[in-house]
Amino acid sequence: METAKPVATTQAVAVPAVRRRKIRWGDTLAPYLFITPFLLSFIILFIGPAAYSFILSFYRYKGYGTATFLGLDNYKTILTYHVFWTELRNTVFYWLAHVIVLMAAAFLMAVLVRSTLISHKNVYKPLIFLPNIVATVAIGLVFQSLFGTEYGVINNLLGTKIPWLQDYGYARWVVVFLLIWHGIGWWFVIYLAGLTTINPEVEEAATVDGASGWQRLRYVTLPLMRNTFIFAFVIDAISSFRIFNQPNVLVARGGNLANPEMAPVLNMLVTDLRAARFGSSAAVGWILFLLVLVVS
Amino acid sequence: MMSAQASAISQKSSQRYRTERQIAVIAANVFLIIYIILALYPLFMMFLNSFKSDSEILSNPAYMPQKWTLESYQAIFKYHGGLWRNFVNSAIVSTSSTVVAVFFAAMAAFAFAKYTFKGRDLLFALLLATMMVPGEITVPTLYIIFSKLGWLNTYQGLIVPTLTSVFGLFMIRQYMLSVPTALIEAARIDGASHWQLFWNIMVPTSSPVLGAFAIIHFLGVWNSYLWPLVVTNKRDIQPIMVVLPNMTDPIIGFLPVWGTIMAGCVLATLPIIIVFIAFQDKFMSGVVVGAVKG
Repeated sequence: METAKPVATTQAVAVPAVRRRKIRWGDTLAPYLFITPFLLSFIILFIGPAAYSFILSFYRYKGYGTATFLGLDNYKTILTYHVFWTELRNTVFYWLAHVIVLMAAAFLMAVLVRSTLISHKNVYKPLIFLPNIVATVAIGLVFQSLFGTEYGVINNLLGTKIPWLQDYGYARWVVVFLLIWHGIGWWFVIYLAGLTTINPEVEEAATVDGASGWQRLRYVTLPLMRNTFIFAFVIDAISSFRIFNQPNVLVARGGNLANPEMAPVLNMLVTDLRAARFGSSAAVGWILFLLVLVVS
Repeated sequence: MMSAQASAISQKSSQRYRTERQIAVIAANVFLIIYIILALYPLFMMFLNSFKSDSEILSNPAYMPQKWTLESYQAIFKYHGGLWRNFVNSAIVSTSSTVVAVFFAAMAAFAFAKYTFKGRDLLFALLLATMMVPGEITVPTLYIIFSKLGWLNTYQGLIVPTLTSVFGLFMIRQYMLSVPTALIEAARIDGASHWQLFWNIMVPTSSPVLGAFAIIHFLGVWNSYLWPLVVTNKRDIQPIMVVLPNMTDPIIGFLPVWGTIMAGCVLATLPIIIVFIAFQDKFMSGVVVGAVKG
């Protein structure tokens, strides 16, 4: 490394004009080559299909034969179909019911673990995070076994026969519970990281000024975490609208889809797909996108 | 200088502070421990119940197995011709997807992080913006294309849609930005080719973030459900996550074979838990990098 430097400077000083003209082709081309695989696959696998699906949503197409132009008919049909509104209602329910508890719990735990009250942070962190890495499908089945009416573990322990999963009134809440259970670990880690970016001097200054723990939390920590909170809520909202695994695996039997009473919006996309109503299926996708935009 | 009385008072209040604090510490720890016990309980039950035979599960769902048995695990291999194949499918799909995805994302991240070229920042911003679009929007189109290509019920069909990850691009670039450019420049002056810069310098230096992203991506593909459900309907090719719920089918037996199902869940989750325990630092720091902006 030491030899390289003097060589470079002497070169630059000695022949500045020649150096300027000698731009290697490789230099300008290199970055483009590096991004090509990614960009190409991105365009082919995402942009292209998304655009195509947008166009498709205006047609009726069965996968073979011709596509008939329908204008906005697909959208009209979906928006007037009561099942769609049921599913939308379900999706919004799943989202709103879980997000407050989830965020509050995850944040509180992050504050707790970060505080000086806890010393074995590195033991707690992975344990709290652990539920998040379990596949939603697997844990959905486990919850089915826990909440089963006749043979469920919980009913067995309590001596009751509560139809957790068969009565849809209860079942919704089991889905919400599953969402919270699964999500706490993830947001806990994120909040924890966010908390560590807060300058400890600010907190110390507050303590010196006589602020109690609670006051510090309310007036110092929370405002500083605002951006993280906003980020968290938006990301969670977006993924909440895409919810699919949990309601279906929890309630349906045999890999079928959940009854529309419980299903999220994405179910309609899949049912349409299976019925080869591709135009309609595409339209559902784009409606979902619009919803996501509106919410964010 | 404090009088004896004053120092006695201050001693007492500092002592009270200490005991208050001790109580707080104990309370906090107890709270967390209780939370962890409750949170890990479902996983514990999953594990426990997998060691019961299918018939015992019906009579004794909630408590310790009366008879510890590996029957349910054996049943996994006998069930409808054996689910062994499906685990292998999941492994093949997840691994190949991860290798390619990490490779593509790392190359692109390198370009975005260490090079300047026309339209770089605009392009990156656009890519970020697409993260708002739900991936499921491409499902109908990809299905049509794949069926015309004959890719339904194939490995390619399962793997290909998972290859681009803007999240990965973002995460890796974030990390690469903090790698000192001097390192690269020095090698450049020494005459390294661009590929060498990437492969021999950047990649080894970024291995923490590459590892973290690899794990996260692997997990995502391993656990995926909607796309595999849509693109496959033949049991041979389906990943384990699609097959597992089928086992609760009421047509086959009157009651679901919970023991076997739990065994299946354990087998489907165990590899991940092992990998997680081995790499937990990288894993969780990866989550953080993806979220906390710079």
